[in-house]
Amino acid sequence: MKPLILASTLFASACLLVAHLRDTSIEVRAASLPKVILNAESITPRAIEQRTGEMVTHNYAQAWQDMAACVETNRTDLVNDYFTGEAKARLTHLISDQRKSGLRTHYEDRGHEVKAVFYSADGGEIQLEDRAQVEVQIFDGQKMIYSSASPRKYLVLMTPGADRWYVRSLESVGDETF
Amino acid sequence: MRRILLIWCLMIGGFALSMRAQEVELRAPSKVIAGAGFAIATTGHGSATFYLVGPNRALKRTIQLGQEITISGNDVAVSGLYQAIACGSPCANTTFQVLPSAPARLSFLLHPSRVPVSSGNAINATTFVFDRFHNTVLKSAKVDFHVSLPDGPTMTRTGQTTRGITWFEMGSTAKQGRLQIIAAIGETAEPRVIQQVASDACGLRMTAVPAGRYVKLETSAIRDCAGNPLPDGTIVSFTKTDNAGRSTIDTPIKKEKATAQFELTGRARISVACGVALGNELEVGGRP
Repeated sequence: MKPLILASTLFASACLLVAHLRDTSIEVRAASLPKVILNAESITPRAIEQRTGEMVTHNYAQAWQDMAACVETNRTDLVNDYFTGEAKARLTHLISDQRKSGLRTHYEDRGHEVKAVFYSADGGEIQLEDRAQVEVQIFDGQKMIYSSASPRKYLVLMTPGADRWYVRSLESVGDETF
Repeated sequence: MRRILLIWCLMIGGFALSMRAQEVELRAPSKVIAGAGFAIATTGHGSATFYLVGPNRALKRTIQLGQEITISGNDVAVSGLYQAIACGSPCANTTFQVLPSAPARLSFLLHPSRVPVSSGNAINATTFVFDRFHNTVLKSAKVDFHVSLPDGPTMTRTGQTTRGITWFEMGSTAKQGRLQIIAAIGETAEPRVIQQVASDACGLRMTAVPAGRYVKLETSAIRDCAGNPLPDGTIVSFTKTDNAGRSTIDTPIKKEKATAQFELTGRARISVACGVALGNELEVGGRP
């Protein structure tokens, strides 16, 4: 009888935890980080663990913070911390081009509503849909040549590293995509 | 008075003409395909500075207003949102979206690399579909997965991508050996191989042969429940319990069998185990 009670208790606890993860959005709003709210209600094929969700949310916010610093100052040293693969290559190329052209980009980051839509069965990839409120200003020297405050959508692929999640792909997509 | 009026009119006209000359407008298609060159139409007169800023590009060059600006395919190889900006005085801009081109690359992840036979949903396959510039292909695409065993038939299952991803899970088969899965889209195919290995030992048995003060132990061929031999190197544990206590010999399987030898100092009980599988127990006697 005792094992049965123990098993029932464990099962009930597990159900409660999963229910909690499915119902609750994870939010990162550290002092200097962009605001990122992650919603994983409709993720497939597996649910995301609470700790993983927190890590993804925090690391994604840090990636945006680093990207903003990179394109503002045209420094490539921050690219390595939260970017990898194609996202890193593209960002590095953009910074190199900006440096050559004397351009810089300023992001005024007003937050990201992120929906986690795919989490692979082996836990190796997570895909996110990001509705970003980011004002973009492009400068040639001191002269502002472009400014836009329109919301943007990004399709993001993140993969885990030793101690963090990396942005592997960050693609701006059209309004009709999601 | 007339002369003053004439000069005034000429000044107004000249100012209006110069303002007209400085009016800049850019017209680009709202959507273009990655890697396909196109042209941006401009209005106005004189020279201006043109900028093209995209996900991986920030170009700057001098253009003549009123003429078309040619954008090469290389400059729009990466999908995403681009800004085309022309600055005479003031600046004008237009925004366009570069869409991924046709599927041309697959990133195929198959896990795990080794799997025990007859394990339900133990194999998972995830495929990402990209165009030739490594942009995620957002339009739904059909990916075929050809699954084959060395001596078995090939079966095909099809997945439809959502936001560039398709995945499936499947169980391993009952027979050990290479399981090859080829993910294919159009002319592109990515093969991956999983090694299906024997599962836990089944019906583990040993025999004992006394040899003086010693007893030699040997298992029968160690196989899983489907008859697949466990690989050489798998550890088998022989445990002897007697008046002196308990001692264990861990030994690897060689050519499907494991052997061990204990010294006997009296009656002893010997058991054998391999992983989670327990084998038979023997009682062997020696001189007290």
